[in-house]
Amino acid sequence: MKMRPGGELATRPLEFIWLADCSISMRNSGKIDALNEAIRKSIPHMQEVAYENPNAQVYIRAIKFSSGASWHIEDRVPVESFEWEDLEVKGVTDLGAAFKLLKDSLRVSEMSDRALPPVIVLISDGQPTDDYKAALKELMEEPWAVKAVKIAIAIGRSANKRILKEFCGEQGIEVLSADNAETLVEYIKWVSTVVLQAASSPASQASEIQTMGINVSIPIIDDDFEDIETISIEDVW
Amino acid sequence: MHRSFRDNQRVMTQSGKSLNIVKFLGAGGQGEVYEVNYDGRRLALKWYFVQTGTENQRNMVEKLIKVGKPDERFLWPVDVITVYNKRSFGYLMPLRPIQFSNIVDLMKRRVEPSFDSVITACIQLADSFHKLHEKDLCYRDISFGNFFFHARTGDVLICDNDNVTHTKITNAGVLGTPRFMAPEVVMGHSKPNMASDLFSLSILIFYMLMMHHPLEGKQEKQIKCFDLPAMTKLYGERPVFIFDPMNHSNRPVPGYHDNAIAFWPIYTERIRQLFTQTFTKGAKYPEQRISEKIWRDVLIELKNSITICDCGMENFYDIHKLKTNVQNKCWQCQKMLHPASRLKINNEIVILNLNTKLYGHHLMAQEKYRFKKILAEVVPHPILEGRSGLKNLSKIPWRVKTKEGKQYTIDFGKSFTIEDGTMIQFGEVEGMIRKG
Repeated sequence: MKMRPGGELATRPLEFIWLADCSISMRNSGKIDALNEAIRKSIPHMQEVAYENPNAQVYIRAIKFSSGASWHIEDRVPVESFEWEDLEVKGVTDLGAAFKLLKDSLRVSEMSDRALPPVIVLISDGQPTDDYKAALKELMEEPWAVKAVKIAIAIGRSANKRILKEFCGEQGIEVLSADNAETLVEYIKWVSTVVLQAASSPASQASEIQTMGINVSIPIIDDDFEDIETISIEDVW
Repeated sequence: MHRSFRDNQRVMTQSGKSLNIVKFLGAGGQGEVYEVNYDGRRLALKWYFVQTGTENQRNMVEKLIKVGKPDERFLWPVDVITVYNKRSFGYLMPLRPIQFSNIVDLMKRRVEPSFDSVITACIQLADSFHKLHEKDLCYRDISFGNFFFHARTGDVLICDNDNVTHTKITNAGVLGTPRFMAPEVVMGHSKPNMASDLFSLSILIFYMLMMHHPLEGKQEKQIKCFDLPAMTKLYGERPVFIFDPMNHSNRPVPGYHDNAIAFWPIYTERIRQLFTQTFTKGAKYPEQRISEKIWRDVLIELKNSITICDCGMENFYDIHKLKTNVQNKCWQCQKMLHPASRLKINNEIVILNLNTKLYGHHLMAQEKYRFKKILAEVVPHPILEGRSGLKNLSKIPWRVKTKEGKQYTIDFGKSFTIEDGTMIQFGEVEGMIRKG
């Protein structure tokens, strides 16, 4: 029986948006399978972080881009019921089309009038094939895009990290390079737990850890992979 | 990123002992926590990330082990551990018993404790922080994640004690957790210290009693994107208490801050005064903050004032309201409250509802501020309806003298009828019952 009045602590919504490259090159060395697997594996960890977070209601969305871009998950799905359907590959790398779709969804009129900074995770293995620059410029005119925590994961050696860095911003988080399936799993887990937590309910702030020049303090990624052998991308994907 | 240890892994410490990693328990900003078996004991191991496991941090933990825990509620470091072939280090501490919940469970209403349990937890927190500060130690990082409580008894455990240092040390690694940091720390004007601990403790107590943050009102509602700059403004630059009697600009907004609106009027005027002082004058002037000792004493007053309405709900009988001719009404059914009998003891007044308990705190000097040992309980008369008595659950026989002069000895397991004017010699202390 409820022995006290009121309800749960008030929360704010937090949108977590995957931006996934589904170009044909993602098929090479099983990269798309690795990405599907990494996101699927991260779900329970993400749900656990959300369960322990009193300040946010986390919603998931996903955009896929190849020849053009479309929603993979269009309706905001509460993290508690988030499931991942496999992405399939086709076509080229129209990153600009993905930015356009993202821009439309981040318009002030589309967003809640009170929210936590969205988290946008861009994952790509190649070079954009459309005019991504103009689309990125337009995207960054949206206040919610400016406020968002933007993370980019470059898969393999042919990903254009310079362009991914443009998405993250000069002062933003450095592009993460996943050269094998295991590192990709770890990075996906990191963004879906540590970054998610930092954007909604920041943990204890350490004075010696420098916060980056962004509006959310993201703890440094602990990439102490001392007991992992370095495996080449060709061997593992 | 990677876990430092696998479940069921056996490692050799540099002191030559075997350490069994039982399972991973969780990770925070500084490191990971594992359940371990060490020297035949089940313990928790906190293992620092390479970046946070600094020499300075290690010295801090070693000093804490030397100083010793302020009381048994602190899950205090017991041993520093280094492992062969591993960078960084860790420390061992007692394991949290599974029946303890975390404060997030309370905030998300996954546990539904009584007011009595929540207040007992707050009393214990204030008492433990008083003992910590008495040792000139400062906690620095009060937040939801650092405490556990027992939803039925209100018992509290305090973990993550590795940032505790002498209050004068200013280079401790941690600044605190947003939403809990004192304004001067948020603004970077000061490093965490005893005064900022007091502010953070008041935030935690407010959260536990009101299920809301004391500075989140209209200003918070107007913020679209709640990021760090917004938090700095709200909690650092311009902290305005949502119930500031002089500044109405940040009142809680219906539909957004309903818990604050629902809980605030339920508590006693004294509790509201303490919050008001700490979050108005105390937000600006650290020396005006409420001490843990005052929190502890006033929260005990609050616990003692619990009155059960006929509808079954706990309420607080506010003596202040009687003085100002305001009626005490039940928050649930809105009916007028009729307080049960009261026991005057040690300058405290305890309302005697059916099932009210007296603890070591009430009856034994050396148990002051402890609510573990139940030494008396209000029970119904086995035959006579409407009559209640106080049952002796202590080993000490009580001497009872009624208003009419009748005298009895009440041994363990026996009860006497609660009547106006009855005097009770409990052994160390004397009490008197008042009715009406």
